[in-house]
Amino acid sequence: MADSAPQFSIAVGDRVVYPNQGVCRVFNVDTKEVAGQRLTFVSMRREEDGAVVMVPTTKVQAIGLRRLATRDEVGKIFTFLKSESDKADLDWKQRARTNVDRMTQGGLQGLAEVVKGLQVLSELRPLPTKERELYDNARHLLVSEMAASLSISECDAEDAIDLVLSPPGRERPKRTAEEFKQIPAAEEEELELGGDLLSLGGDGGELDLPAEEEAEASEGEEEEEQHPPPARGARAKRGGGKPHKLPETAGSGEKRAAKGKKPPAAPGKRAAERKPRAAKHATASADGKSKRKVAAARPSKASGRKKK
Amino acid sequence: MTLEGYDPQEIQRLCRSLYTAFGVGCESAGQVPLPAGLGDPLDARKLIEQVEPVRAYADDKLLYLTGKRLKDRELPSGTAPTLGYALYGKDRALVSTHGVRNWEEGLRRVARHSLHQLGHLWDLYHCLDPRCSMYPPWTPSFANGDSIFCSFCREKSEQKIRLAKS
Repeated sequence: MADSAPQFSIAVGDRVVYPNQGVCRVFNVDTKEVAGQRLTFVSMRREEDGAVVMVPTTKVQAIGLRRLATRDEVGKIFTFLKSESDKADLDWKQRARTNVDRMTQGGLQGLAEVVKGLQVLSELRPLPTKERELYDNARHLLVSEMAASLSISECDAEDAIDLVLSPPGRERPKRTAEEFKQIPAAEEEELELGGDLLSLGGDGGELDLPAEEEAEASEGEEEEEQHPPPARGARAKRGGGKPHKLPETAGSGEKRAAKGKKPPAAPGKRAAERKPRAAKHATASADGKSKRKVAAARPSKASGRKKK
Repeated sequence: MTLEGYDPQEIQRLCRSLYTAFGVGCESAGQVPLPAGLGDPLDARKLIEQVEPVRAYADDKLLYLTGKRLKDRELPSGTAPTLGYALYGKDRALVSTHGVRNWEEGLRRVARHSLHQLGHLWDLYHCLDPRCSMYPPWTPSFANGDSIFCSFCREKSEQKIRLAKS
């Protein structure tokens, strides 16, 4: 993002919000000479712990420094938190990308979206550690900004948020993967979104991975869902032995359910199904449709010998 | 700290529960008088501001116990049932034991609420895990749970405790 002057004027005593850091109070605006350049710096102190941050005025907009939310804006946040919307994306990669954007550039609304999205997701399955940390950070920033905006204590601010998210006398509901389907499959087909449109990914253009990394990442994801590559390779060399048992992750089952795939079969069944599946892949490879499937279905030396 | 007379044995048992949860020392520091003019039910915000301070080491946390009912708080999004109150990241929290007639049965609930408020003093926020003591305290299942933290809250509180000055 290009350097530019701040869109709002900053004066000593103003309360501003530094993305991912929290509420700060400006205590000085002065000019300093750094590496032969004269730059105007905004010095601010984080209210939570007194940490001092100095930002050149030209970078204020680029880092997303903003004014403290007004009461009206906070009111809108409560309305948003009350609403039955914002189901988190079940694709972890897309979700992580969106949440990073929301945390840095989304303002108070972005923080509320992260908190609500992850809370709703936790009603489907427990959050992984990284997302649990993200949830905690977002909640912390949301609570402290709301408390500062409304001039109330953090205890009151958090309780006000949770009165909406977890109303008194009611347990949090249990969700199913079906509820997280944002666009029904039929509608998706009708839209016929091309690869170009899908790759736009909203505003987070900067965070888009290059095509090669994207391919690797998606490949990795698929493999994570099924079997890790070394185990698969080893099994192929052995000519198919005892199936390598993997612990079932909480997310993979839901993803499968969301994509409309069959749930995993019992170990015994899975072994029985393996041969027909290999045959199916072999047919697919004969058509030249999928290179990955060809590799997976390539007969091992041991099996080849047996046939002879 | 207590604001009314409690059986020392009951307080001892509560201290033991808190010690088990946090892994740091917990002891009763006696009784202080209830500030006058707070009305009935008590206003938790005023009480926590006006209650007599106790001489303690830096980063020591004080939990005040009262048997009186606390007034529900009017918040921007509604009325919050109030069974306790804490100054986040600071040194004072308050828990009401109102409604606990039989300490044998009520200890579990009081300990869970105490742990919840003390957790706020160590910068813990509300948790997503219903088994954790940091789960929102007005949910029906809260009172039935044990006074424990989930692994995330426990790790976070331990980290904060390690960094504490005293």
